[in-house]
Amino acid sequence: MITGFILRALEGKIVIAAAILLGIAILVPALNLLTPLDSALHIPTYIMALMGKYLCYALLALALDLVWGYCGILSLGHGAFFALGGYAMGMYLMRQIGSRGVYGNPVLPDFMVFLNWKELPWFWYGFDWFGFAMLMVLFVPGLLAFVFGWFAFRSRVNGVYLSIITQAMTYALMLAFFRNDMGFGGNNGLTDFKDILGFSVQADGTRAVLFAMSAIMLALCLLIASAITRSKFGKVLVGVRDAESRVRFLGFRVENIKLFTFVVSAMMAGIAGALFVPQVGIINPGEFAPANSIEVVVWTAVGGRGTLIGPIIGAILVNAGKSFFTGAFPEFWLYALGGLFIAVTLFLPKGIVGTIQHGFKARKALKAAAEAEKGRGNEQTVVQAAQAAE
Amino acid sequence: MTLRSLFYAFLTCLILSFAAPSFGQSGAGGDPKSLFDQLAKADFNEAEKLIGQIAATGDPRVVPALQAFVDGDLYFRKSDNLVFIAKAAGSNLELIDPLTGASAGEAPKNSVTKVRVNNNLRRVIRSAMGGLTLLSPDRAVRLQAADAVLRSPSPENLELVEAALAKETDGEVKARMEEARAVSLLSSDRSVGEKRAAIETIGNLGGRDAIGILRSVSGSIDESLKPDLDHAISSIESELQLWDMVQNVWYGLSLGSVLLLAAIGLAITFGVMGIINMAHGEMVMLGAYSTFVVQEAIRSNAPGLFDWSLAIALPVAFLVTGAVGFVIERGVIRFLYGRPLETLLATWGVSLILQQTIRSIFGPTNQEVGNPSWMSGSFALGGLTITWNRMWIVVFSLSIFVALLVVMKKSAYGLNMRAVTQNRRMASSMGIKTPWVDALTFALGSGIAGIAGVALSQIDNVSPNLGQSYIIDSFMVVVFGGVGNLWGTLVGALSLGVLNKFLEPSVGAVLGKILVLVLIILFIQKRPRGLFALKGRAVEA
Amino acid sequence: MTFKAKLGGALIAAILSTTAFHGAFAQEDTIKIGVLHSLSGTMAISETTLKDVMLMLVEEQNKKGGVLGKKLEAVVVDPASDWPLFAEKARQLISQDKVAAVFGCWTSSSRKSVLPVFEELNSILFYPVQYEGEESSRNIFYTGAAPNQQAIPAVDYLMNTEGVERWVLAGTDYVYPQTTNKILKAYLESKGVKSEDIMINYTPFGHSDWQTIVSDIKKFGSAGKKTAVVSTINGDANVPFYKELANQGIKAEDIPVVAFSVGEEELAGLDTGPLVGHLAAWNYFQSVDAPVNAEFIEQWHAFTKNDKRVTNDPMEAAYIGFNAWVKAVEAAGTTDTDAVLDSIIGVSVPNLSGGTSTVMPNHHITKPVLIGEIQADGQFEIVQQTPAVVGDEWSDYLPDSKDLISDWRKPMSCGNFNVATGKCGGKGS
Repeated sequence: MITGFILRALEGKIVIAAAILLGIAILVPALNLLTPLDSALHIPTYIMALMGKYLCYALLALALDLVWGYCGILSLGHGAFFALGGYAMGMYLMRQIGSRGVYGNPVLPDFMVFLNWKELPWFWYGFDWFGFAMLMVLFVPGLLAFVFGWFAFRSRVNGVYLSIITQAMTYALMLAFFRNDMGFGGNNGLTDFKDILGFSVQADGTRAVLFAMSAIMLALCLLIASAITRSKFGKVLVGVRDAESRVRFLGFRVENIKLFTFVVSAMMAGIAGALFVPQVGIINPGEFAPANSIEVVVWTAVGGRGTLIGPIIGAILVNAGKSFFTGAFPEFWLYALGGLFIAVTLFLPKGIVGTIQHGFKARKALKAAAEAEKGRGNEQTVVQAAQAAE
Repeated sequence: MTLRSLFYAFLTCLILSFAAPSFGQSGAGGDPKSLFDQLAKADFNEAEKLIGQIAATGDPRVVPALQAFVDGDLYFRKSDNLVFIAKAAGSNLELIDPLTGASAGEAPKNSVTKVRVNNNLRRVIRSAMGGLTLLSPDRAVRLQAADAVLRSPSPENLELVEAALAKETDGEVKARMEEARAVSLLSSDRSVGEKRAAIETIGNLGGRDAIGILRSVSGSIDESLKPDLDHAISSIESELQLWDMVQNVWYGLSLGSVLLLAAIGLAITFGVMGIINMAHGEMVMLGAYSTFVVQEAIRSNAPGLFDWSLAIALPVAFLVTGAVGFVIERGVIRFLYGRPLETLLATWGVSLILQQTIRSIFGPTNQEVGNPSWMSGSFALGGLTITWNRMWIVVFSLSIFVALLVVMKKSAYGLNMRAVTQNRRMASSMGIKTPWVDALTFALGSGIAGIAGVALSQIDNVSPNLGQSYIIDSFMVVVFGGVGNLWGTLVGALSLGVLNKFLEPSVGAVLGKILVLVLIILFIQKRPRGLFALKGRAVEA
Repeated sequence: MTFKAKLGGALIAAILSTTAFHGAFAQEDTIKIGVLHSLSGTMAISETTLKDVMLMLVEEQNKKGGVLGKKLEAVVVDPASDWPLFAEKARQLISQDKVAAVFGCWTSSSRKSVLPVFEELNSILFYPVQYEGEESSRNIFYTGAAPNQQAIPAVDYLMNTEGVERWVLAGTDYVYPQTTNKILKAYLESKGVKSEDIMINYTPFGHSDWQTIVSDIKKFGSAGKKTAVVSTINGDANVPFYKELANQGIKAEDIPVVAFSVGEEELAGLDTGPLVGHLAAWNYFQSVDAPVNAEFIEQWHAFTKNDKRVTNDPMEAAYIGFNAWVKAVEAAGTTDTDAVLDSIIGVSVPNLSGGTSTVMPNHHITKPVLIGEIQADGQFEIVQQTPAVVGDEWSDYLPDSKDLISDWRKPMSCGNFNVATGKCGGKGS
């Protein structure tokens, strides 16, 4: 059964996308490390760091697509799961600094020293161990999603109400993490990391590995998401999205289905955050800002929700645009982003990938219909074609 | 007249023995003019002594010059170090003799230097002026003088107050002077019996200031008076405790009314039409900027109308934001009906564009929106201090609420709107132009957000980020109160305000806000449709 | 097709990022400097002005013939008030645009975000804003005030001139106020102030409902002792705070408020009539009476084509930082980072308050502390000016940093030298 589950993930275009990602995971670091600096093929570290960041965002968008595109839960708080994963990784990295901090305290991070903390708060225990930290990267966002979803889905909060309370959740977390008394470094967040698993985070080699990890994790999560959505469970999921009451009346436990998807998605967002932090070098409460989470929604919408590949493309495109505009035309970035929001919702409701797929299917359907016509009306084919065209 | 100068001479002797025993070179008959001129080169400490001497001359002619000193209008001429009151006269300053009030010609700004004044000097001057004006023929001035003495008690003023008290006939001024006498007496060397009476007077005065005065002497006062003092303080405190509760409720209502203002436009666009308008905050911001523009126009064209600026800004803001809302509805939102989540994204895009547009036009910094005089200051109601601007905002938000309720329930347009909300197709087949009603309703919601902006400009920053700070709170209010129900929004806003203000003193402002958010999230789990849920099938759509 | 889309996406991303380095193909005879200030988002309100100042300074320098015979070219980027984006943009400026130095950042978070980038790529950042101290990087120059150049002199003034005995330390809940208040509390206690005479209060960012806190301050102030408020409230929250103070009738004569984040630019959004007498402590006020300041204000008005634009302290800090860099580059004869890092220490340049500021070995600068009272016209009346004070990166009033010093001259070259143990590297275990 598990083999079946995995095999189902291997739909053509997903396989190709995953293969490309794996190719990038090898190619980009290789071009960065192995080619001479002046070579035309050389990828500067700066570009690699940038692309690594985009890949993390792409993973976040993919996570959102799983709940929004397939389950109809528009979460405006996915930034919170991303940030929590990032904080878990950040805490590990902080503990790795050890006595190399400016105060030379072997246990306490710098921000605790100068605010006169005497000992490590209990929730920092264990984060000096990589395995534990990685577990927390999955566990903390997962737990929050579980608790939040448990209450919300059980009491059938859905649609815009759910969106608004997810937004309230990330807003409350932002306020909380801004507080210095929480013990997460206040508004400055966690920064000035030294090394990860003994390798300097600033070394080109480490960056290359982190980049490769981002690409691999993205490919892996893409396959997992694909397996989920193409399984029987995935079909029910789409049913929940399109007609929740009907699925409920058919005897499915809708809240459990939603909960499972929500938790998986939150964990993916957590992984994205954990990969993001060592590559950009800082995690702070700004990541919880509701505006960030809304931006994730737009990446997904641009690429095409419910397509899995779309959000990846959307995240990369929008962020490349952001890098470009904020460098070349700083004043116009918000106009561009705002215009994109409007244009996509008005003219590209299915997103880039969705629209292309739609056009492709429609053409195929027409062809099929024409053939059916030739074969004097094979009713079934026509119906199928029409369905596909929808 | 002669009687008065005799009296002043007598007073001067008395005061001098207190005020400036070590600074006697100019003597009791010191010429105020030369004292003022010495201010030119005095540092703050010397200036303080000079003011004591100026006050000690008892010459009522020094009052305008002292007032000018407080206002920062006292200058000295660089060429000869003579001190003048200066008034702006075109690009120059008109110099006025500090005592006679006679003009001494104009001087360019760079030929004179301001006589520096700091908080401490202002305090000393006010106290001195209080003493000097206690006998003014003008009742209002006497009252102000008594207040000044009351606020800065010093034993020097005691004799002056008592002299003034003896001549006072007006009841209210007399009472105030009694209090002023009591506070001055406490720190003097009068008898224990007199002080006991003074403590009682102050005790009856009540309020925070009275506690402050009593506490400030508790260290130096005679041991036998300690029990009286403690009793007076504790009785004021127990009274204040009750008022504190009331004050907290008022703060809560006032915060709630701000939330109500911010949310009530949303209660229409989101609550009634079901449009998630993320640009709602920007409508509030546009309203605030309209107020700014109106005020600028008034400042440069008709400064006399400034007190009317808000009244003029209200319709302007309503029309501007209403029109913007109309354009947004026709241009974007009407294509997205039935797809609430996509409206959310599109309106968020609109909000980004509006923000950046305002930033490009007006710059990213805060703009100054002034408070008209009737919105400034505060008044006391029992033990409450109520600021006028908060008061008017409470009144204003409630009147908007009532007006909106009337429009919705009583007008033909309101009827159409409710019909369209409940059953669009049916309404359409009854001949209602549904697209038109949609557009107008959205414009109405936006316009109301705009006039909320006019009110909020009075208490908050007017910057491109203004809207962002209200958007989440507004959604919380509407969702908490129950979508589609104006009463729900009212109750939701006020109860959240009061809850916030009761949490704030015990857990702090930051944690208070977080707790309120968490409570709302939990509440929504319990009652997914808010406090006042609409019943029936319509809500499921 | 999806393959194509994927490849296309990657390609577009790469192309967009390369074209972003618009300066890459500019003529070779310019020296590039980076300007890293947010032009959008929440911090744009403060940072946009500093970008304009930098552009003005570059223009003025080019009129004088540039640096080392080459024209300067400012590369402006927008980190959009987004902290990870600060790091990305810093990396872009240094490694793609090859700028000689970067002028930028406002919040401590943004500085913390770029610090590792500057150290890794060995470039120079001039940071022009007052901050909490407790940092000294080899690659950063702190031209804004450290707590001892702002907070402590202000408290001294209130204590000595106004006789204040009771203190409210009110701040926004983030690192700068927390640290400053820790330092101030230790300082006040060392001066014999009892802990019940100190009230500390924190509020969230952008707090707008100050009714409760202002009435708490009133309550605290009615203990019969002269009370003052030391405000480290963050920019945006100040307007509603001062409005509430004015409306509740708290006058500067009763309870003065001294602020460390309120300058001319913040007051421009306020009716200052009721605020006359409240104080601020900075190293520069627009009202400073000095020819160099008059000239600077005139340049600024001409550059912005607006006579009403005010000048403020971070602008002066940017001015000092820029001129110090120019002088150091000319002394070194190159823009090479290591050479400039060596030559800049000890460089003295005129500041706008009529004196000179010197870059110290701890990468902070000397400047006078000015205490000003707010006037009805939105300017400050300077009521006290100290001689130049050296910025103290490691506060003497925090137990873990009092033994630390920083000296980036050879042979010590250490940002956290412990005088007690005689070792570089903090307190040690």
